[in-house]
Amino acid sequence: MTPTVSASGLSLHYGGTRALDDVSLRLTQGVTGLLGPNGAGKTTLLRVLATAVSADRGAFTVLGHDPGSAAGRQEVRRRLGYLPQTPGFHPDFTAFEFVDYVAILKELTDRTARHREVRRVLDEVDLADVRGKRIKKLSGGMRQRVALAASLVGDPGFLVLDEPTVGLDPEQRMRFRELIARAGEGRTVLLSTHQTEDVAMLCHRVLVMAAGTVRFDGTPAELTARAAGHVWNSAERDPGAKAGWRTGVGSFRNVGDPPPGADLVEPSLEDGYLLTLDGKGAEVATA
Amino acid sequence: MTWHVDAEDLRAYAQGELAPPLLWSADTHLTGCAECRGVLASVSEGVDAGWDRIDAELDAPRPGLWERLLVRAGVADHTARLLAATPVLRRSWLAAMVFLLVATVGVVYTADSPTAFLALAPLLPLAGVALAYGPVLDPTYEMAVVSPVHGFRLLMIRTVAVLVTGLGLNLLATLALPAYGLRALAWLLPALALTATGLALTPRLGQVLAPSLVGGVWIGLLAIARESGDGPLVQFTAAGQGAAAAVAALAAGLLFLARDRFDVFFSRSAV
Repeated sequence: MTPTVSASGLSLHYGGTRALDDVSLRLTQGVTGLLGPNGAGKTTLLRVLATAVSADRGAFTVLGHDPGSAAGRQEVRRRLGYLPQTPGFHPDFTAFEFVDYVAILKELTDRTARHREVRRVLDEVDLADVRGKRIKKLSGGMRQRVALAASLVGDPGFLVLDEPTVGLDPEQRMRFRELIARAGEGRTVLLSTHQTEDVAMLCHRVLVMAAGTVRFDGTPAELTARAAGHVWNSAERDPGAKAGWRTGVGSFRNVGDPPPGADLVEPSLEDGYLLTLDGKGAEVATA
Repeated sequence: MTWHVDAEDLRAYAQGELAPPLLWSADTHLTGCAECRGVLASVSEGVDAGWDRIDAELDAPRPGLWERLLVRAGVADHTARLLAATPVLRRSWLAAMVFLLVATVGVVYTADSPTAFLALAPLLPLAGVALAYGPVLDPTYEMAVVSPVHGFRLLMIRTVAVLVTGLGLNLLATLALPAYGLRALAWLLPALALTATGLALTPRLGQVLAPSLVGGVWIGLLAIARESGDGPLVQFTAAGQGAAAAVAALAAGLLFLARDRFDVFFSRSAV
């Protein structure tokens, strides 16, 4: 399958901090998950691919267009949908006005066509009933859906979503997952998240990043399989485990190299993720 | 119904050529007037486009006052929406500017010298323009920067709007100082010089440091001029005005050369 996004050797430094280090990837149609602890470089990678920031080294194309030139960058942006980590809203705008504003930024200047498109994307995220409401009066979940609607304006071929389910309650999260799954039909979606459940439920492929590098690139099943034979239960915390925590039933679940005779259990995607990060989870630091 | 849409306007409407605010009036009227709908059907070959437009408009909220005023002033509706999103064109900012100017005019009358006004007036457009586009005050900056609309174009649209507003308020304040004649306009060229210099430095220094530095240098130069003589400050003499014009032209050139840098995040610190 022809990749929507093809990147090689992307590197980016901020002062002495290495945010991206020789990142190469190819993204195809469907939802690809991007997992990693805070400071792993996920948002930086998303911003580079969304053309908000230029990499120091390396190159990439989106749908065949090279954003290295101003003209190429504009072509990429015409085919891009972007939902930032903390989408901002003009407080006095209604949902309709905000999406309309984004549609204008996406060069839809004909009023009739633009309003038709705004209604289409608001319908797509099930916000038709509140399109006339001011955004400041909407719930957090609804605001996220407004931002998702804005990112869908113009039917982009490449959709970049930066932690869209953060701060949502479980019901809202489930609702949002449905919308992302729908958005992933027929286009390429790169979904950054801290939630391994998001990846397990939505993604055909997953990348794990740490310290600016891609540590894993494969299917969720392959990430889970990495932990096969490395997860065991014990009555007490196993000091030899790379990570361990008390479960709801009182026993400890351990990830790492099991001791002889350990009570091995079925691994989950989260186990594979933790093992990939050497058990450090959210404590992996940037270089 | 006490009025009906003119047949020519209906024809333009059906062809998608009727511009706001007439368009809005026609939209509203047509939904309630069967007679005009009948005329619309008879005058138009492209009647479907007209209904399509009505359909698209049915649920569109009425634009805010600021947007409606801009459209009535001849600004395209999409440009008016871009301007309505300008952070510093909000009431709180405008109220703060008016308050500062009124206070400064009061100081001028008390001190019997326009210096305080001439020193402050250039700083207001500088601050307004600096904060009109960028990550500091614009909540949608990150979405805007990855949009196909070139960042420099968006910056210029907002800059013009903020400059017109800021300079307009300054001019109104100037009118309150008739005793000083043209001398009271000596803020204008420094205002343009400071604003252009602040913008030209923004991609390199960031949205806060650049205008702060420029404003600081302005105040420093005024302080030096004050220390060096008792007459009018050199910045407000013919020579000073000439220098301000030269700086404005130079900075505008540098700003144009740096235009592509507004198409991505201003500075790495913003990432």
